[in-house]
Amino acid sequence: MSHIVATDGLTKRYGKRAVVQNLDLRVPTGCVYGFLGPNGSGKSTTMKMLLSLVQPSSGEVRVMGRPMNRATRRRLLADIGSLIESPPGYAHLTGRENMRLVQRTLGLPEGQVEHAVRTVRMHQQLDKRVRDYSLGMKQRLGIAMALARRPRLLILDEPTNGLDPAGIEEIRELLRRLADAGVTVMVSSHLLGEIDRTATMLGILSGGRLIFQGTRAELLAASTPDVLIDGSEPERANALLQAETGSRLDGASVRVPGLDDKATARAVALLVGAGIGVHGVRRDEQSLEDVFMDLTGGGGL
Amino acid sequence: MSAHAVANEFAKMRRLRNGLIAAAMVAAVAGLSLLATVTSPAFAAPGGRVWAVPLAAMSFAVPLASPPLLAVLASRQVDIEHQGGGWLLNQTSGIAPGGLCRAKFAALGLIVAAATVLESGLVLGAGLLLGIAAPVPAGLWLGFTGCVLVANLVLLAVHLLLAALIDNQLVGLGVGLLGTVVAVFAAGLPPALTHTTPWGYYALAAAAGYQGERLVAFTPAYPSTAALGVLAAVSFVLITALFDRRES
Ligand SMILES: Nc1ncnc2c1ncn2[C@@H]1O[C@H](COP(=O)(O)OP(=O)(O)OP(=O)(O)O)[C@@H](O)[C@H]1O
Ligand SMILES: [Mg+2]
Repeated sequence: MSHIVATDGLTKRYGKRAVVQNLDLRVPTGCVYGFLGPNGSGKSTTMKMLLSLVQPSSGEVRVMGRPMNRATRRRLLADIGSLIESPPGYAHLTGRENMRLVQRTLGLPEGQVEHAVRTVRMHQQLDKRVRDYSLGMKQRLGIAMALARRPRLLILDEPTNGLDPAGIEEIRELLRRLADAGVTVMVSSHLLGEIDRTATMLGILSGGRLIFQGTRAELLAASTPDVLIDGSEPERANALLQAETGSRLDGASVRVPGLDDKATARAVALLVGAGIGVHGVRRDEQSLEDVFMDLTGGGGL
Repeated sequence: MSAHAVANEFAKMRRLRNGLIAAAMVAAVAGLSLLATVTSPAFAAPGGRVWAVPLAAMSFAVPLASPPLLAVLASRQVDIEHQGGGWLLNQTSGIAPGGLCRAKFAALGLIVAAATVLESGLVLGAGLLLGIAAPVPAGLWLGFTGCVLVANLVLLAVHLLLAALIDNQLVGLGVGLLGTVVAVFAAGLPPALTHTTPWGYYALAAAAGYQGERLVAFTPAYPSTAALGVLAAVSFVLITALFDRRES
């Protein structure tokens, strides 16, 4: 099967408000899928629907080729590790005691729990109480709980939230190792920079809609970088283009957003026709951050 | 509800001091009963060493001490789920929220049952030590203890559901205190009112009491208590089944 998660027209309404609208997600088996979107865009709600913890208002979820719903979720969840919103853990118990609870609930062999704990490098801190854990340790214990069942699919909701750069890097490295071990990882974030180098596929959510889904290269290609025009009279050139294109002065150049190749040619012709000496036209370099900002309307970073 | 889930509830009790709270309940009921027995003028009167005195004392001590401690017990066992993201964690491991509540009831219910039997036994023992020579009214004693047990378990269930439904545990504890007031004064309320709150059933369970200065024997309200037990059991199963469908 090529897609471990596939949704069709997935929608969730609270009252009249649609917080997730018409999502057609395709998560290829074996990838790290970065699920991006600004705060409130519907990432957690979507992930809860994928786990059937929240029931869709309409649309369908298929996980590992089977429909995911209340009737099937118990069986399917046995193969899915998840961490939604904040990391779980009983604060008055130690990490080890917390892991034992998970082990008993799922009926797991000792070795499997041990392996999960080692994978997240928590074996040294297992005898501390969870209330004394740092946020990073809590996140890793939460991931260990999710991993203990040896999932085929791991759904992590903002596992890097609130972590320092070293903590973020540690989680990234962990995700890469998991992917190498054959686990499909779907990970959400409101910060593109946190997962773009780890994710091989990206889905971008804005206002409950999936506004992009594809690889990083496809994301860059999908956007139109600004055109920078250098000429003899930048002020007059800007004045001529501004109304139609929303251009602005950028140093000695005129920066024009959103021009495709044809529109670029027309703009140059207009300037030349007005007697302005155009001596340079180039496309700006654009980072993924810029693209993400463009797509989501600046809600992220 | 699985045996694993119940075993997990016992494991979660570690460091929660639930045992201590249950012990406090036993100590409070037994202590208050003893105190009320030895200070009773009826007990000091010639020929006053009768079983009705400790029974009346316990009928007074149980509604005073049990409701607040049951509220605390339930609240502590549930609050850890709110604090630790336990509802979601368990749901993704196959234990839905209602199942978790049922497991908590089973685990705490065992402790509450043991505590109830223990406190009743302690008061009985104290009566023997104090030299009550009359034969023990075994049937009445058992019936009274059984009715108290039903009231305790129903209240435990009510507080578990309340604690699960409302994150702020002060609400449940507040209701527990209010209930204590109701329980203590329930004997003086019209029967219709006593029957409509779970706390009233402590008064209905009473095996003896005072009317003014006079000690009188009561028959615990067995049919009412049995009806409460059945109604509560059915409601608990239905409500927790609804919880199982609740979205997080
Ligand atoms: N149970 C609910 N009832 C009503 N509205 C809800 C409910 N759950 C979520 N919402 C709303 O749905 C929207 C999406 O929420 P969601 O938590 O899925 O976003 P998110 O992308 O995970 O945000 P964040 O980055 O802050 O975690 C929000 O506006 C939120 O207020
Ligand atoms: Mg979220």
